[in-house]
Amino acid sequence: MFGYAVAQGNVRGSTAVSPEAQTIRDAVTAVVERAEQSQALFGAKAASISQLQAMVNECSQPNWDGEDAVAINPIAVFLTEQFVRALPDAIPLPEFAPEPDGSITLDWIPSHHRMFSVSVGASARLAYAWLDGSDKGHAVARFEGDRVPKRIIDGIAAIMNHGYVTLRTA
Amino acid sequence: MATLPSGLPDLVAEAEDLTRFITQTNHFNSTMAKPAAFLPNPKYRNTSVFRCGPDPELILQTWQKTNLGDRPLKAAATCKAGDVRKAGLDAIAKEPPPAHANLEGWPWFANDPDLQKAKQLELAQSIAQKSVLVSVAFP
Repeated sequence: MFGYAVAQGNVRGSTAVSPEAQTIRDAVTAVVERAEQSQALFGAKAASISQLQAMVNECSQPNWDGEDAVAINPIAVFLTEQFVRALPDAIPLPEFAPEPDGSITLDWIPSHHRMFSVSVGASARLAYAWLDGSDKGHAVARFEGDRVPKRIIDGIAAIMNHGYVTLRTA
Repeated sequence: MATLPSGLPDLVAEAEDLTRFITQTNHFNSTMAKPAAFLPNPKYRNTSVFRCGPDPELILQTWQKTNLGDRPLKAAATCKAGDVRKAGLDAIAKEPPPAHANLEGWPWFANDPDLQKAKQLELAQSIAQKSVLVSVAFP
């Protein structure tokens, strides 16, 4: 953190003019920009996981809905957090919703007529469904914990970008 | 056609409004009820709804007559029985409590619960798409 602060100071306060100094300055600028982007992203994901935890607290006991719902499954919570952390930077963060069987739905809902939902339960196989006007469907994909399945990433991107997949996944 | 204790016909008509009471704030956003609000209870394999329209006064009256009344009502979502049937489910009257009905016909695959959930999500999305969020809060 101290090195980052020093680098920030170098970038913003530097008056160096030699080619070598300019090269160093450009490199430091790139590092600082990258660090700031990571911080902003980490903050957004941390806020999203805080929202998840708040929901889990409300639904941690059976019958949280008054209709005999099952308490939210701790494995589902763990997998959901992993899923959020593994989402590529260009994908918007989801809304969360508890399911009556203790699973968690992650929703991307740009409008009434377009939505993508992923259900995370106690299994590494993720159920998902999409609705895009009159086009709809469902499928299952395996989540390994460190990378969101490409089919799910492409599906979310298509719904959020109005049918155009513009994301590159690693 | 037979009549139920509430005075409603025993068959739910296509044009009837069905209201899902929402007691969880994460089951809706600023514009609509989320699909999870309609997913079936795994114990009963159906989704509980009430045969009343989008009028907030009527929704509150119906809510107060149910056994769920000690739980805060956060919102409600209303859809037509015909839209439920077009999605592939059915609306079946089930009293008491008065005006109660269930959304029945959800898929259950004993050999693949994950695929079962995926299909249920697709159906829940179809109903969420057609539903109207009603802003009511009680108490």
